[in-house]
Order: sequence, then C-alpha cells, then structure tokens
Amino acid sequence: MQLNKVGISLIAFFGLAGAAFAIVPILAGAPGQVAGILASIGVIWVLVALGLLWYARRQKEKAARNDWIFRQGLRGTATVLAAGSSAEVNEMPLMSLRLQLAVPGHGAREVKRREIMPVFAASRMEPGLVLPVYVNPQDPGEFVLVW
Amino acid sequence: MPDVQSAYGELAGERGFEQIGAFAPGPLTPLLVEGKGQPLEPALRGALGDGVDGVVGQLAYTRNKTFRFQVALTEVPAATAFAPRVFCIRRGRSTRDDEFYGFEARHSKLWTESTALNERYEVATSPYQDPNWLRQLFSPSFVDWLGTEPPADFSFELAYGALLGSIEADDPGADGLAALCEATAQVATRLRRECEE
Repeated sequence: MQLNKVGISLIAFFGLAGAAFAIVPILAGAPGQVAGILASIGVIWVLVALGLLWYARRQKEKAARNDWIFRQGLRGTATVLAAGSSAEVNEMPLMSLRLQLAVPGHGAREVKRREIMPVFAASRMEPGLVLPVYVNPQDPGEFVLVW
Repeated sequence: MPDVQSAYGELAGERGFEQIGAFAPGPLTPLLVEGKGQPLEPALRGALGDGVDGVVGQLAYTRNKTFRFQVALTEVPAATAFAPRVFCIRRGRSTRDDEFYGFEARHSKLWTESTALNERYEVATSPYQDPNWLRQLFSPSFVDWLGTEPPADFSFELAYGALLGSIEADDPGADGLAALCEATAQVATRLRRECEE
C-alpha cells in the first residue's frame, strides 16, 4: 500500500487549508465572530486530515500484515460456496463471499470474507471457483485470498 | 466499417472460421469491462491455433471517443488455481488505474523481474500472486517470443481462466487478425503447459 497523489493532495489540502483557516484570521485581527467561524471550519478540516492520515496508516499496517501472511503463511485453496453483492464503492462491487478453506494441516473450514473487487473479478465469483489462499500458521482464521 | 468486415470475411474463408455475427462475452477481463457490454462485432468462432478454440472479433466502444480493438478470446480454466489474473499490456497503452482512493491497498502489483519483458510490456498480477509460478510461466524462451513474435500492439489479459489477446489496430487486415489469433493461441498453449507441470 502506498499513498498516491490523490491521497497526499487530500491530506495536504485539508491539513494546510484547515490550519490557515484556524490561525490566519486570528493573526490578522479579524472580528471575533468571523474568526470564530473560520477557526471552527479550520479545526474540522484539520480533523479530517488527521482522520485520513489515520486511515492511510491503518491501511498500510493491514497491507504489511497481509504481506507477512503471504510470505510466511501456509498455502491452500479457497472454494467459493456463495457470492453476492449489495453495494458498490467507486464502481466496484463490495462482494460478500462464503468460502471453504482447505489448508494442509488445518483441514477444511468455512469462512466469510468481504472484498471490494473490480467488475471483471466480481462477475467470476461463482460457487465452485477455486482460488489460492495463504493462511497464518498461528491463526487459521487470518488469511489472504488471492483473487 | 466495410474494410474490417471484409478482413474478417477473408479470415473466415482462409481459416475455416464460423461467422457468428456478434458475440457478447460479458465482463470477463478489464478490457471487456471497458467495453461497457458492447458485443464483439463482427465475430468469428473457430481454431485460433493448434488445439486452441475461441472467438475473434472487434470490440468497439465510446467513452470520450470511440475505441476499437481486435480481440481473440479463449479459455484456460486451469490457470485460475495458479494465477487468477495476469495482465501483460503493451507499454504505452492507456488503461484505467485501480488506485481510486489514494488510501486503499492496491488491487494489483506490477511484476518487474524480467527486464526484457518490461521493455515492451507492463505485467500486473494480484498483489499476492505466487512469484515462482510467474517466473516459470515467463521463461526466457517465452519472454523472448513475447518480445519479438506477436504483433507490435499485442497485449493479453488472463482473468479467471478467460484469456483475451488484443491489438489496437482499427483495420489490421486478414493477416493482422491471423497474427492476433496465433499469438493468443501461443499464450494459451504456454499457460496450459505451465498449469500441467
């Protein structure tokens, strides 16, 4: 995972513009009510920037965790038992999958997973499809689905 | 597009393809998704190469302008268990990026181990694709073939067993269409062999 230009631009915009809204009117000696309104907007924007930073960091940690499972995990297969979607994010279906995991040493077990997928991938998630999977050796409930 | 129609007619005559008018494959690969459900038209069905059956046709769709691709579609179902998706796209062809949000983990990863391959193509896979399998698939001889033999504007997309070869020429003539069929069949054969090993 890496922040792209869109992410960096959004964080920079809300962070810098929010800080400016909060500080500049006070430094410039604006009337108290105007400065208060602008400062409120500025604080909200700074909070948005901090929220985006938190989300980006969480995604980075998630990607690092998945990378570790991919490198150290046990390879197995995931058979799609059921698939459906009831929502879209940026034109990509949010898929709800019911999977049968088969991993050497751990037997078979049924799990659920939600993934945002491009249309071409979502349209192929049908019962019977077999996909590679990597499972955390210490926690079989933690896995990376290769789709 | 009478010239394209005649090229497809000529190809059908030369190679014994069945003329099926139009063919709607569905959103099997990113390029077909881009095509917004447009059918392949004209379209022919038959042997793309030795032991590889499929459909060859023209995909035309309009976004801010009209795009035309000649495509050959076949199936390699066994590949899904090894590599759900492998996109080998000619460098310079514009495709949509999968980084929409700026914050999410990417949905695909570039495979850059082969310098020779990357001079001509951009290869993308799942972020968690087994690299050993890819190394075996893109053997030196296959990379050499990909770099020299297919049409200059050739790309291919493998997604869940559907293999789509494509060229960007509006009117490649019967010879160009035949070259597309043969290149796609070669890729399908290479994939099948690697799945069997």
